[in-house]
Amino acid sequence: MAESRRTFLKQSAATVAVVSLPSCAPAGAESPDALAPATLRAVGEAVLPEELGADGRERAVAAFELWSEGLEPVAEMPHPYLVPVTVYTGPDPRPGWAAQLSGLDIESGKRFGASFAEVGVPERRRILEPHVRRAGPDFGRPGNAAHIAVALAAHFFASPIATDLCYGRAIAKQQCRGLAGAGDEPAPLPGAAS
Amino acid sequence: MSQVIESDVCIIGGGISAAMVAERLAEHTEASITVVEAGGRTASLEERTATRARMLAYGENPYPNDHIPGQTGTGEMYQSMVLGGAAMHWGGAVPRYSPEDFRVRSLYGVGYDWPITFDDLEPYYQEAEERMGVAGEQGPPEYDPRSRPYPMPPLPLSWNLERMREWTDAAGIPFWTQPWARNTEPWQGRNVCQRCDTCAVCPTGAKYTPDFAFDRLLAAARIRLYDRTLIRSLNLASGSDRIETAAGFHQDAPDQPVEFRARTFVLAAGHSWSSHLLLLSANSRFPNGLANSTDNVGRYMTGHWFASGFIELPMRLYPGIFPNNSLLSHRFASPGPLDRYLRHDIRLWESTVGREARLAADDGRVLWGDEVMADWRARTRSTATARIRSYYDVIPTPESRLTLDPGMRNAHGDPMPRIDYVAGQATLDLEPHTHETLLGRFDELARAAGGRMMSTRASRLFEHPGGGCRMGDDPATSVVDRWGRTHDHENLFVVGAPTIVSSGCANGTLTFCALSLMAAEEIAKS
Ligand SMILES: Cc1cc2nc3c(=O)[nH]c(=O)nc-3n(C[C@H](O)[C@H](O)[C@H](O)COP(=O)(O)OP(=O)(O)OC[C@H]3O[C@@H](n4cnc5c(N)ncnc54)[C@H](O)[C@@H]3O)c2cc1C
Ligand code: SF4
Repeated sequence: MAESRRTFLKQSAATVAVVSLPSCAPAGAESPDALAPATLRAVGEAVLPEELGADGRERAVAAFELWSEGLEPVAEMPHPYLVPVTVYTGPDPRPGWAAQLSGLDIESGKRFGASFAEVGVPERRRILEPHVRRAGPDFGRPGNAAHIAVALAAHFFASPIATDLCYGRAIAKQQCRGLAGAGDEPAPLPGAAS
Repeated sequence: MSQVIESDVCIIGGGISAAMVAERLAEHTEASITVVEAGGRTASLEERTATRARMLAYGENPYPNDHIPGQTGTGEMYQSMVLGGAAMHWGGAVPRYSPEDFRVRSLYGVGYDWPITFDDLEPYYQEAEERMGVAGEQGPPEYDPRSRPYPMPPLPLSWNLERMREWTDAAGIPFWTQPWARNTEPWQGRNVCQRCDTCAVCPTGAKYTPDFAFDRLLAAARIRLYDRTLIRSLNLASGSDRIETAAGFHQDAPDQPVEFRARTFVLAAGHSWSSHLLLLSANSRFPNGLANSTDNVGRYMTGHWFASGFIELPMRLYPGIFPNNSLLSHRFASPGPLDRYLRHDIRLWESTVGREARLAADDGRVLWGDEVMADWRARTRSTATARIRSYYDVIPTPESRLTLDPGMRNAHGDPMPRIDYVAGQATLDLEPHTHETLLGRFDELARAAGGRMMSTRASRLFEHPGGGCRMGDDPATSVVDRWGRTHDHENLFVVGAPTIVSSGCANGTLTFCALSLMAAEEIAKS
């Protein structure tokens, strides 16, 4: 049962990757500080559902990394309806997120004498809690997240995979699905309790 | 020296109204046609898969650079100035107005009658629906009158909307599928809808956008298109009230004027820029602006207001199956005799509001991983959210006005438009009754399903705006006649949104298109 759900998650990883595209940033723009992979994965273990399993979480973190590489700071957004202004997304959040990851390591060292990735999930959550509390209760857009932990979770929970897992059904939101079948109750996910 | 371009008909603006006029003239006449659009081209159909993906991932504009920096006004206006106009972004909801919309003064003693009836416009509604390709479900004929079937079968109701229709049937209010300019069958070389659910940008071409029509006409060499070319003035022939030229410049050569000469000029520049250009074109004979000898240009700017809300339903739905389809009722747009005036539509959608994943529980406790999932599941297992919204008719007034704003100028020093929308006193007087009635109807509907209202909102945004060059038989109170011909200039037509008398309680663009086609028939005669 758990295995079929894992298979579903694996197949769905491609879907997450589809929305993670190369950046439109001009060539030669300075690349932001990289997000420390081990610490990012340790954050993933703290904020992503355990039911995804290690593979599922790894895919969610990898999808986030790909997404974050494609992020273009200060990109034009759709115009607000009937408001004659041009609005833009915010500045590049990645240097701040990278600094937060190294901050997590430093804080973990000071509190627990080990890096963030080396301490247990409860200890990680104690460190993350004030940052997550400040952001809540809604996830908001991942690109607007003030903290990397919220960005990572927001990215996953906004995905079609997360919706399908929540409902235990193959809804496949925003995937081009054809009109046939629109009137059917979405099929249960293999192994999911509905 | 100006570059001079001559044609029989010069259409100013490249939005959906312009597309309708250009297509009809190209098919029914031998006339040479130029289309002049201030903006450039934006994402082609081939590029929309990629821009859609970035919109989904990053919230980016799927039509980047679809506006002209500095060419912008104040008030409720579209920022888009691009080939295709605002209808590149549109959702494609295309209800007709109701017969009552054209006769509110005669029937209810408020507002203004149009110089035409629903029956006069009906053939053009059908033609507009066929040109763009409309998929629709015939509603009860008394609320959805039409002489011929919709061009295509309706978009299917999702499982969610089927459940919601069972509920509205039980409540005794007839709802049917919203008509859409989205294909359910291959139409004019365009694809069938694939339920991608990002209709602001459609990656398949199933949603009608006006660039398709322009591309077809260009391929057939039936129009000449001058995009990135802003018209700054319309100019009279000497000693005559006829328009002789439209003068402007290409964005890439701002120092080289371009002059368009034509027998007939069609102003299809949308609800704000049409009145703006007329006012900007003032001269010694028309010191208040062209077509403005009776001071009506820029007046009676209008749109509809709405009340909306979210309903908690005691049923399991699966948001995301097809959120871009919806249920529609025009039951209260044709209400029969009324003690106090209120006409409105009702739309219903599936919604995720109040039922999204969240970071913290109601008691403020931070949720982690599996807890987020458990909380999310608990809030979606046996309850769901529906969104409800009613557009209602706002009575226009001459004080609702577009003027030139000397304090805001574009790069060429031209004053930009300023729109101060105002609702007629009748609407303001009726507002408490309107809100009480609408929220009461929402509440009744909610209770019919054993549900409850989660929240409500009233909006005074003038949606689907129009006006500024309203049509009428009397030149003292209108700018154009029923065909869109200006009373002051026999070879100048204004088409679409600016010419409406009132904006009813239904999305307006299909009506703008029908009016444009009706004007095109008259233009063809000249
Ligand atoms: C997000 C969104 C969703 C919408 N959804 C719906 C919907 O579902 N149903 C509905 O009915 N309506 C909808 N609308 C409204 C609809 O898009 C408009 O009513 C319609 O597109 C107006 O068309 P138009 O031809 O009158 O004007 P426009 O689209 O404004 O076109 C006018 C064109 O003229 C050009 N122009 C202006 N001045 C000049 C000049 N001086 N020289 C040269 N060119 C000039 C402009 O650049 C513009 O391209 C929506 C709009 C938006 C933004
Ligand atoms: S739902 Fe249909 S019309 Fe909308 S984006 Fe998808 S294919 Fe296009």
